Amino acid sequence: MGARGLDGTRAPLLELETRDEGLFHLRPGRITELIGVPGTGLTRLGLSLLSPHSRLAPVVVLDVRGWISPEAAWEAGVESSNLIVVRCQEGHLWPRVASALLEGVRALYAEVPPGIRDNDLRRLGALARARRAAVAMRPLAQRLPAGVAHLHLRGLGVTWEGADRGHGRLTRRRLMIEASGRGMAGVNRRFEVDDEGTDTVRLVSDVVVDQSGRIAG
Amino acid sequence: MWSLTRADASPDSPVLVVDDRVTGASREVLDVGVGLGMPRREAEALAPFATVLVRDPGDESRRFESVVHTIEDLVPRVEVVAPGLAFVPVDGAVKYYGGEEALARRIAGEIRREPDAPGWVSLLGIADGPFAARWAAASAEPGEPLIVHDTLAFLSRLDLSTLRESLGGEEIIDTFRWLGVATLGDVARLPRESLATRFGTHGVQAHRLATGEDHIVNPREIRPDLAVESTYEEPLEHLDAVAFAGRVLSERLLKGLRMAGVAPHRVTITAEPAVGPARERVWRSADPFTERSLNERVWWQLRAWVEDGGVRGGITRLRIEPDDLSGEGRQLGLLQDESSRIETERALVRAQALLGPERVLQGRPQGGRMPQERVAWSRWGEPDAARQRDIGAPWPGTTPKPSPALVPPRLQLLEVEWDDGLPVRMRLGTRWEPVLTWSGPWRLSGRWWVGEKDADRYQLVTSVGAFLCVVANGKTFLAGVYD
Repeated sequence: MGARGLDGTRAPLLELETRDEGLFHLRPGRITELIGVPGTGLTRLGLSLLSPHSRLAPVVVLDVRGWISPEAAWEAGVESSNLIVVRCQEGHLWPRVASALLEGVRALYAEVPPGIRDNDLRRLGALARARRAAVAMRPLAQRLPAGVAHLHLRGLGVTWEGADRGHGRLTRRRLMIEASGRGMAGVNRRFEVDDEGTDTVRLVSDVVVDQSGRIAG
Repeated sequence: MWSLTRADASPDSPVLVVDDRVTGASREVLDVGVGLGMPRREAEALAPFATVLVRDPGDESRRFESVVHTIEDLVPRVEVVAPGLAFVPVDGAVKYYGGEEALARRIAGEIRREPDAPGWVSLLGIADGPFAARWAAASAEPGEPLIVHDTLAFLSRLDLSTLRESLGGEEIIDTFRWLGVATLGDVARLPRESLATRFGTHGVQAHRLATGEDHIVNPREIRPDLAVESTYEEPLEHLDAVAFAGRVLSERLLKGLRMAGVAPHRVTITAEPAVGPARERVWRSADPFTERSLNERVWWQLRAWVEDGGVRGGITRLRIEPDDLSGEGRQLGLLQDESSRIETERALVRAQALLGPERVLQGRPQGGRMPQERVAWSRWGEPDAARQRDIGAPWPGTTPKPSPALVPPRLQLLEVEWDDGLPVRMRLGTRWEPVLTWSGPWRLSGRWWVGEKDADRYQLVTSVGAFLCVVANGKTFLAGVYD
């Protein structure tokens, strides 16, 4: 995967490196919120965020639908021996399971089922900060309450290459991602992320500021 | 020691009990060349006629309990290593029973008469240390104890493969063989310093075993406050409650030991029932117990006592006492973070307590054509499930990468509108999305011998994402979402 600005202009290298650190890397004690409907490529993006952590210690996927495929995570660079999938379909158990996991895991990708109370999510956010857990959350219905996530990555759309009216096969996709939140220092930025299906997330070039402005939340 | 078969195995048909390797086999299977410890696939190839059963250590432990109890009636303080393997310190008992051979025959005879183990034959060995005794037992004839008088000479003849269990890997054994070292005698003749330089702690451990020094486990003084115990006003009768209590207690024990910078090679588990005398069992391990391995042993033991009615009226007090404490650590990879691993394991145990063990899973890659087939799931903390499909096989016609990130456990019916064999639009929730482009069909040949029909696979691309679909019998099914 790689990313570049939508208008194609190139950012200074120093800025690229410092911004890289906060974007496609889960930081300890921070929650990254992945926003978007199924199909926008956010599951794979979320799994790939676990990749660097999986080289050091076990990482956990909290799977609400029971559909997450470890194969996609392995392709995204997650160590197969260090990936554990916890399936929790019951909304009433989800906050307890998530908090039990946050007590110990180094990095967590968690789907958030509909109907979880804001208070519970805020408590989980505080717990993640206290335990310095690196967390990606993918709400399946409503957004996370304000103040919980440090960084919001919104999937704006996806285009696929390789398939052509019966010929070829899906080979490569481009995700349009908008990043916002405190992790972006109040600047909303849009990225186009290349995903060839066999690599971990990395920013390779041409990161630019697409739009700026203060944000709330 | 002996191999325990599965209780549900038919006595009339040949049986192979396996995890990743063979852990037990019936006589007909052993006769065709299958050996204990042999890789599962190799054994299956040698004995295709055998019924293959997956090992259940919890059940084995329950059935082994009566045997341990029988031995304990003759010699106190039996140390269980795993279901089917126990060590007995015999120094005192030898004088009482009039010699090593007399003692060994007495034990073998009592086990043969054990009513809960009809027809079981024990393998018994006596030697100067646990490692030598274990392999003496493995070399013994059924029911005929092997008394080793010269432990060093006995060890020197053993093949290198005997180190596999203690060293936990094949790599060092392969390297030894490549260097022309074939037996433990060859290892013992090498300078220990050279082994330490070349192989690190594994090399030193191999040399210790080969020279019969394994019974020295660097014992330290045990501080009494390191043992943990809990008393229960309401006796614990149900397995779930007992399992939870055991897990909490073993976590507490290891936490205390970690603070003291030590780890136990041996633990004594004591359960006091509401009615009757307290039960006590010693478990030992060549490596210091980890959280997971201790949890397993405590669970196996408590399950055996509860299911056999050994703790009548429920458990009112549980105690775990560490022994043979060692300060030896484990060599980690350069970047591995052991504290994170321990913390994660503890968190996962808590998640298991909330959801049940079947919801905390680990996948391993395996072969297959469809995404649903290419993951071998197993419960976290338990032995890996055997791969049903060979990952090394070519699998022609496999669905190409990238893999869909969302894969339903079973194919889901999907509404797709076709026009002359070409996909036009598909229903996603309440709305219809036009199909922008697609690839396929790719033929998926069904296993006709089990009644599966052929099917076609398509990758359908819409404005909201791409989907993997299977078309069979005129119906379209969702097989994955490229999310």
